[in-house]
Amino acid sequence: MEQPVLADHAGGVTSRRPRARLTKVLAPYLLSLPAGLWLLALFLIPLVTMLSLSLQTCNLGTGACVMTWHWAEFGQQLSLYHGQFLNSFYYAGAAALIDLVISYPIAYWIAFYGGSKKNFFLLMLLVPFFVSFVIRTVVWNFILSDNGFILGSLKHAHLLPQGFHVLSTGYAVVAGLAYNYLPFTALPLYVAIERIDKTVLDAAYDLYATRRAAFARVILPLTVPGLFAAFLLTFIPALGDYVNQQVLGGTSNTMIGTVIQNAFQTLDYAAGSTLSAMLLGVALIGIFAYARVLGSRTIDEYL
Amino acid sequence: MTERNGSDPHESAIDPSVWRGMTQSRMSRRHLLASAGTGAGMLGMSAVLAACGVKGATSSGGPKPAGGVGTAAWWAKQKSTKTVNFANWPYYIDVVKGKHLSLERFTATTGITVNYTEPIGNNMPFYAKIRTSLSAKQSTGYDIIVMTNNSPAIGYLIQFGWLTPLDQSAMTNFNKNAGPLVKNPSWDPHNKYTMAWQSGWTAIGYNSAIIKNPGTSVDILFDKKYAGKVGMMNDPQELGSVGLLAIGVDPATSTESDWAKAAKKLNQQRSDGIVRAYYDQSYIDHLKNGDTVVTQAWSGDIFQADLNSKYRDLALLIPNEGGMFWTDNMCIPMYAQNPRDAMTLMDFYYQPDVEAVVEYYDDYICPVPAAKQALLSPTGWAAKALKELAPEIGLPTSKTAGAPTVFPTPAYVKNSRPYYLYKSQEELTAWNNLFLPITQGA
Repeated sequence: MEQPVLADHAGGVTSRRPRARLTKVLAPYLLSLPAGLWLLALFLIPLVTMLSLSLQTCNLGTGACVMTWHWAEFGQQLSLYHGQFLNSFYYAGAAALIDLVISYPIAYWIAFYGGSKKNFFLLMLLVPFFVSFVIRTVVWNFILSDNGFILGSLKHAHLLPQGFHVLSTGYAVVAGLAYNYLPFTALPLYVAIERIDKTVLDAAYDLYATRRAAFARVILPLTVPGLFAAFLLTFIPALGDYVNQQVLGGTSNTMIGTVIQNAFQTLDYAAGSTLSAMLLGVALIGIFAYARVLGSRTIDEYL
Repeated sequence: MTERNGSDPHESAIDPSVWRGMTQSRMSRRHLLASAGTGAGMLGMSAVLAACGVKGATSSGGPKPAGGVGTAAWWAKQKSTKTVNFANWPYYIDVVKGKHLSLERFTATTGITVNYTEPIGNNMPFYAKIRTSLSAKQSTGYDIIVMTNNSPAIGYLIQFGWLTPLDQSAMTNFNKNAGPLVKNPSWDPHNKYTMAWQSGWTAIGYNSAIIKNPGTSVDILFDKKYAGKVGMMNDPQELGSVGLLAIGVDPATSTESDWAKAAKKLNQQRSDGIVRAYYDQSYIDHLKNGDTVVTQAWSGDIFQADLNSKYRDLALLIPNEGGMFWTDNMCIPMYAQNPRDAMTLMDFYYQPDVEAVVEYYDDYICPVPAAKQALLSPTGWAAKALKELAPEIGLPTSKTAGAPTVFPTPAYVKNSRPYYLYKSQEELTAWNNLFLPITQGA
């Protein structure tokens, strides 16, 4: 530790001090300026606008809005659509859990056995993303249609009753969400597993751990923050999803994203903003809970 | 009143639908928008931001057109600028190898250049986009826009004085050739603001292989026999209107208490498990795939599906209670830069031979009945244009000319029902509050 101490070079430093200090003080701000402006223009302003709109009263026709501090809107929307909120939680939660179960082995395998082809396997995970989200979801409509390739064949073989269907059910919605958001789970999990120092496994084996014990007592605990991050990164976007339910769902499994979309389609911006603000609040609570349990730093390590 | 769109009797050596299937370059525009519809939430989102900076017209009655815009004296002063900006829906005009023959004909005969764009994918989001300019008293950049009469958007545009009243002296072809369904329509008396581009019905589509005897009533959508196999539309205007037909009320003259009864009927239909799902434009795929056997449907979609031999079983039923008749209307937004040339173009399309070319491609309801004759025995320019389009369409022109869903028979005309026209903001809100929740149950 041979850090030069300022006092040792008093003369030289003193003469340059004012300028050096100014640059030093400004540097972090200047460096963060592009990102700061970006956040301000594309995140903060829209966010504040939305929150403010949620308390305004709008004329649907002209789009003219007046601030009325209409807090009652929150209660009204909640009483109308709490069921749809709950649906969103169930479906997004179920999809995130399914994704964790599916992607853990994938991420584990790539991290430990991917070898020199790791990047290729990761790319494979992302390949579906080259096709539009909506189109991929709509295609499931054809694959899973009542008389389609899969269900039609099974019905033909009398393995399924004639009235059986997958589309227009909550299961189809959860399956669609799990399918579409899988990479959001797999990639953070991969990062979490990949960063484990492989020598700790050797140490475990040296201490006579079985493979199973090494996994359960060494690998798994080390990936817990990654599991939480992966869950949140999947759960939160899935919570606001409005495509899967509309394409794959039926009459009694509407998610809140659909309600918000319909509000904007009918140009009822106040209602849409109120619902969005509530959804945002819920997502924030999730993130704070995470920060509380696992420390605030861990989540951004996986982003 | 169950007709098979005139597609059955035609049995040529090579099935035209096979050609059409192979050259599926055109689609029903509404069908095409299936994915656009789901993406429209994003559009709505950006519209919010746009709306925020603008104050909007706040006076309750809306601003009146300034400077006598649209009066005969005002029109007399409007000169041709030799250019016109036309905003339409995608896949809604004749096109072959990237060329619009009818527009080229227009430019050749009038010397007016047309900037033809297709920015309209949905009425309300498009309206939200242009109203920011209109409320700031600025040009939208379009001289002609096409708005559907069953959407509140066109009502708003009229109510707020955001449409230029048409030059009634420059509608020669329209006055001569426009059909009874689009002349002096209920949503725009005396065609003060609009001229139809195309029309269609929202009626009932069904699978005739499974439903042998569909009857003649809208009741088929409420039949427990087809529980779990009935498709309904998630658009509150479409859903509410069919609910009103089902309780025996004419939507156009309905009252708020009728709406409540219709909503009750539709809620019952849902809780009885009759409805499979509330669909957007994707309803046609679900009917084709067999997820539904009977569904609310747009006439043009069934016509086009029928052209493919695989879906020949799909049929259209215009029920006795009526088929909801909608029209996409050309109109001139306020502050348009080239109103004179816009008038010229709108009236140009009311020539039978021009409309014949458009209709050969579109297959919706033709606003010009005389185009039928022009399709059957075209002359001059039209004959050449139809011939050029033919390989692209893959169908004889007689098929389009013979379809009652393109050139309606008197019985079809009689069974056409207009939509309800909202008299106030409160009415629209009341309507949406009744019918929207039905489609988004938890």
